[in-house]
Amino acid sequence: MGVPFEAFIPYAIMLGMFGFSGAALSKLRAMQNGGKRARHSVDTWDRQMMDRDRRLTGFLRGQTDNVRAPAGFELSNPWRIERAFI
Amino acid sequence: MAARQPRFNQQVLIDTTPLPDSIPKVPEIGASSAPLLSASYFIGARCKAYGDDYMLCKTESNGKGETECLREGRKVTRCAASVLDDINKSCLEQFRAHWECLDNNNQQLWQCRRWERPLNKCVFDNLKLEKTIPGAPENEIPVHLRKRQIFAHSIATQ
Repeated sequence: MGVPFEAFIPYAIMLGMFGFSGAALSKLRAMQNGGKRARHSVDTWDRQMMDRDRRLTGFLRGQTDNVRAPAGFELSNPWRIERAFI
Repeated sequence: MAARQPRFNQQVLIDTTPLPDSIPKVPEIGASSAPLLSASYFIGARCKAYGDDYMLCKTESNGKGETECLREGRKVTRCAASVLDDINKSCLEQFRAHWECLDNNNQQLWQCRRWERPLNKCVFDNLKLEKTIPGAPENEIPVHLRKRQIFAHSIATQ
C-alpha cells in the first residue's frame, strides 16, 4: 500500500505559506536594520547607546571601532526642551 | 541638571559652546556600542583603578558629580582610549569578528562565545589583559569559560 501523498499536499501548501511569510518578514526587518537582525527587549540603556551610535555614525545601527570620536561629537548631545506648564 | 526628565519635549537644543580652556581637552572615545561592549572587560582589566576612583568620586559628590569628577573622568577616558588603541593594533580581525557577531545578536555576550575565545586568547598573548567577571563566585567556572551556554540559540555559535 503506497503512502497517500495527495493528502499531504495541503499541509505542504500551509507550511510553504508560513515559511514564505516568515522569510519575507525577516528580510524586511533586516532591510530596516541595515542588514542585521532586529534588536529586541531594548531598555533605556540600549536606547541611550543606540542614540550615541547615531551621533557617532549617522545610522541607528551603525558601528565603528575608531579610537577617537569625530570632531564636534562632544557637543552634539541634545538638551530636550519642554514648555513649562504653570 | 533639570529636576526631572522632560516628558513632552517637542524641541531639542544643541549647545555648541565648547568647554572653557581651563579644562584640559581629551578626545572622546569613538567606539560605538558593540566594540565597546566587546572591549569592556579588557578596559576594566587595565583601568580598574581609574574606574574605581571615578565611581567613588561620583558616589561621594552627592549629585554634583558631573562638574566635580571631570578629572577622574579624563583619566578613565585616556586609559580606555589606550586599551582600544592597543586592541586595534594587535587583534583587529578577532575584535571585528566578535563585535559584528554581538551586533547581530542583540548585544548578548552568550551568543558569541565562539568568537570571544580567539579574541581573549589574542589579547592575553599580546596585551597581557585577562577577562574576569567581578563578583563571580569563586568555586564555579565563570560563564565565559563554560563549554555549554545554556541560553544560546544555536550550538554553532557557542
